[in-house]
Amino acid sequence: MYSFLFFMLMEIFGLMFLILSFSVIVIYLIMMVLSALEMRDFLRKNRFADYGDIITSPITPGVSILAPAYNEGQNIVQNAQSLLSLHYGKFEVILINDGSKDDTLEKLIQSFELEKTSYAYYPEIETKAVRGIYRSRNMSYRRLTVIDKENGGKADALNTGINIAGLEILACIDVDCILSSDSISRMVRPFMEETNKKVIAVGGVVGIANNCDVKDGTVTTYRIPETMLGKFQVIEYFRAFLMGRMAWSRVNGLMLISGAFGFFRKDLVRAVGGYFPKTVGEDMELVVRMRRYMDEQKIPHKVAFVPDPLCWTEVPEDEKVLSRQRNRWMRGTIETLQLHQALRLNPKYGVVGMISYPFWSIFEKSAPIIEAAGIIYTVILLAIGDFSAVYFFALLVMMFLLSLLVSSFSVLYEQIAFNRYKDKKDLRKLIWMIITEPFVIHPKVVYWGILGHIDFIKGKGGWGSMIRTGFKKAEDKKNLTEQPTS
Amino acid sequence: MSKFFPRIIFFALTFLPGVLQAQEDPIPSDSIGFYDFLKSQKEVPGLSYRFLFSETGITPSQLSDSLFSLSKIDSGYVSVFFSDFSWIDDLKRPIMADSLAYTIQLAIYSQPTSVNSAHQYLSDLIGKGDYLVKDDEEMQVEDFVALAAKTPYLPLQEYKLKFLSDYRLLAVTLIIIFFFLASSIMIVSMLVMKVTKIKREALQKEYDGIIIEPLTALLFGKELKEITEMDANEIHSFFPENLLSKELFQLVLIDRIIGLNKKMKGEFKEKLKALYKRLDLNKVSIKSLHHRKWDRVTMGLVQINEMDLVEALPEVKKFTNASNFHIRSRALSTILNLSENVDLRSLRDQAFPLSLWQQMNYLRIIRFVGLQKDLKLGILFESTNQSIRVFGIKLVRILGRVDMIETLAGFADVVSDEEKLEILDTYAALGAHMETRFINVCLKSSNLNLSMAAAKAAAVVGDVESEDILLELVETETDHRRKMEYLKSLYKLNAEKFELITLNNTSSDLMEIRNHILDPMLHHV
Repeated sequence: MYSFLFFMLMEIFGLMFLILSFSVIVIYLIMMVLSALEMRDFLRKNRFADYGDIITSPITPGVSILAPAYNEGQNIVQNAQSLLSLHYGKFEVILINDGSKDDTLEKLIQSFELEKTSYAYYPEIETKAVRGIYRSRNMSYRRLTVIDKENGGKADALNTGINIAGLEILACIDVDCILSSDSISRMVRPFMEETNKKVIAVGGVVGIANNCDVKDGTVTTYRIPETMLGKFQVIEYFRAFLMGRMAWSRVNGLMLISGAFGFFRKDLVRAVGGYFPKTVGEDMELVVRMRRYMDEQKIPHKVAFVPDPLCWTEVPEDEKVLSRQRNRWMRGTIETLQLHQALRLNPKYGVVGMISYPFWSIFEKSAPIIEAAGIIYTVILLAIGDFSAVYFFALLVMMFLLSLLVSSFSVLYEQIAFNRYKDKKDLRKLIWMIITEPFVIHPKVVYWGILGHIDFIKGKGGWGSMIRTGFKKAEDKKNLTEQPTS
Repeated sequence: MSKFFPRIIFFALTFLPGVLQAQEDPIPSDSIGFYDFLKSQKEVPGLSYRFLFSETGITPSQLSDSLFSLSKIDSGYVSVFFSDFSWIDDLKRPIMADSLAYTIQLAIYSQPTSVNSAHQYLSDLIGKGDYLVKDDEEMQVEDFVALAAKTPYLPLQEYKLKFLSDYRLLAVTLIIIFFFLASSIMIVSMLVMKVTKIKREALQKEYDGIIIEPLTALLFGKELKEITEMDANEIHSFFPENLLSKELFQLVLIDRIIGLNKKMKGEFKEKLKALYKRLDLNKVSIKSLHHRKWDRVTMGLVQINEMDLVEALPEVKKFTNASNFHIRSRALSTILNLSENVDLRSLRDQAFPLSLWQQMNYLRIIRFVGLQKDLKLGILFESTNQSIRVFGIKLVRILGRVDMIETLAGFADVVSDEEKLEILDTYAALGAHMETRFINVCLKSSNLNLSMAAAKAAAVVGDVESEDILLELVETETDHRRKMEYLKSLYKLNAEKFELITLNNTSSDLMEIRNHILDPMLHHV
């Protein structure tokens, strides 16, 4: 009896892996087509876009740039200056010193002639205590506001900024990001083109600045990072931004905007209660909650995506740091999906409920688990003597070819659309990386993902039970009160 | 009809295997073939045979032969039963040498039977699966050919079944085929696109090089009148006819002329426009309005706008309500730019909501043409599209049309809250002191956004009544953000009353707000 059950289970698993393999191929091929169409349309539209008027027109919306800083003393002044020199008419820069232990605040006070104001801070969104709000008497820095607060994490710092932001659009960025001077104009355009559907957020591409030359706050020469992990992340970022997000944008199913460079409609962010500080995936969680809120209010909406290269950041090239980042991303994904279980296969939430959510559940959240299960399954087949080398190698080769195809296409998109890596040597390095990645880096990424699952199960980060229960409505976050961490 | 195909499939699946089974019966129906078949099988369970001899001609030595072990029966002699049919020929050989008369009798479980009954018995055994027919491994190649001629053609019978029964093999094969097909199509199409793009870019570069010289010669060597009066032969002496008829060459030429038109001023602009028409490029621009691709249509509209092709306006008007955002935006920009009187009727009749992007572009055009032509902004307030009316109010504010305040006041009370918000902003911006009644009504509105906007307007153009309402709102309001806005307005409107209410109040939050408002560092937020 047990033997029968065992073999039946093995058969079911075998069938399941076959279906999954087929689904992966179909989905990625569809995504490649969708992203190509979206890229084509974007490039066509760009031919007719005139950004000259945006800077001076009284019609354009104002932008509040929110940049949390924690122990950024070394570069904070240059970063703030870079933000203040962006080309746009109506904007303010709000730097939030999130309880830094170094001299971040002192350097800002000294460099920008800041003074503590009598700002009456009444938080609409609950945050950690604010110690002071600083502004400069020097009119050159009239756009700058610095908030000094107790440490509460990135989401909490952003919420503080949201509470005092005075303009219509919020640009939430990482303070160490390098922004192109026309980045605001380009990111604001989708908000300005809104007609029938309300544009609630706009995501942008985050490029990799490691090993590149930077001049006047813009990357002037692109080079591939020297390390293997750096090169891998270049390919990964191409796949994520130029393929994944472009494809999701095409079907209005975007669930994630990079926390390093995302633009949001302020009134809506406030309406849903701002960022949720108790999740490590606060960027994704906010987008999902905003979309959910709009669907619950039955307001047609979209999350737009701008593939122009406008923002660059340094990525971790150290394995330990990268593993922690991937662990955090995985936990963030699991937490967001848990918090918004109500979306799962719910037609009320449209594309997000019926397609994006299941995709994220299977191909992002569960992917490491499925891959690990596949390895265990193969080992069992070997042990019981039912292993078929033909099937195994056929599937393996096919998956490898799919990986090559997807990565090559994302590099090709970049070459056709932007052509930033002009050196042939760099392209050769990228191609070599594409070939070796599935064997060298991918197993590690799977392992880090599994660790993320384990940490989530262990309840790392607190509020585990709350996250497991999830939000019944998008607005539930506003009614939350502080709970002891478990 | 929907049930027809499933039925066909059902019948096919049910009866086809039976038909195939019947076709492949391995036992020959004739007796010789049957014996040959039995020889090839050697032994069949339960089936045996013996030899029958007549009495005459049997010698005593034959009677004592242990191989046959003959025994006497009524009609002659009979041998023992043999179960190995491959021996038949060997057994027959001595009998035939002695010229004895004999017959072979078949038996089922040692019971004599006819050939037909034995045939039936063997068929039943095979049908029930109790006996598996042995392949004749020793069969010669020639025999295969002979057999093949007799056997009905059944393509891949055996392998087909094997293939279909292994679902995993089938699925993997299908997936691999699908993957290779899809990826090949994608790779080929990408390569084709890339090659086409490279070729096109190279041609564009080549054409651009050809164009520069004659264009410069025309612009600097000929007067406007000369360009206008040039005949076809003269034009072709500058731009060869064979090139001028090519679509890509025309596009490169258009791009180059429009590029120069943007940079140049005065007579050169006129020369370029005249040349554009003499080269019949205006026809190319108008023709592209009928292109199936939206970007080509939009490009045509841009060209018409840039080169002032007024004759195309009736065609352009057809696109002002196009479903494509870019087409209708460009069409409307062209109408606003080129129409003799700034034609705001097309804008009024827009069916789609106006985006901020469109508003920004139209504002630039309206601002520019408004300096030379009469702007009848009132037309926009007749629109049934709320976003157009809102844009109209914005235009009054941005263009500083104080003369329109009375028009706004005429409908301010009856419009939607979105429009009221714009009207309040406009009153504040234009300093409409005569409209305080409307502001005070809005101050008391239950729509908090409207009340806040009214407070901001009251800060600029409010009266004593506004001050009283603001004081009342400050006392009743619990939300800090709104309370601060009301106090800010009160402070700007009447600083004394602000002092009075904030200093005579012990509430700590009111003091904090007071400090905030009075802090000069926060004045430019």
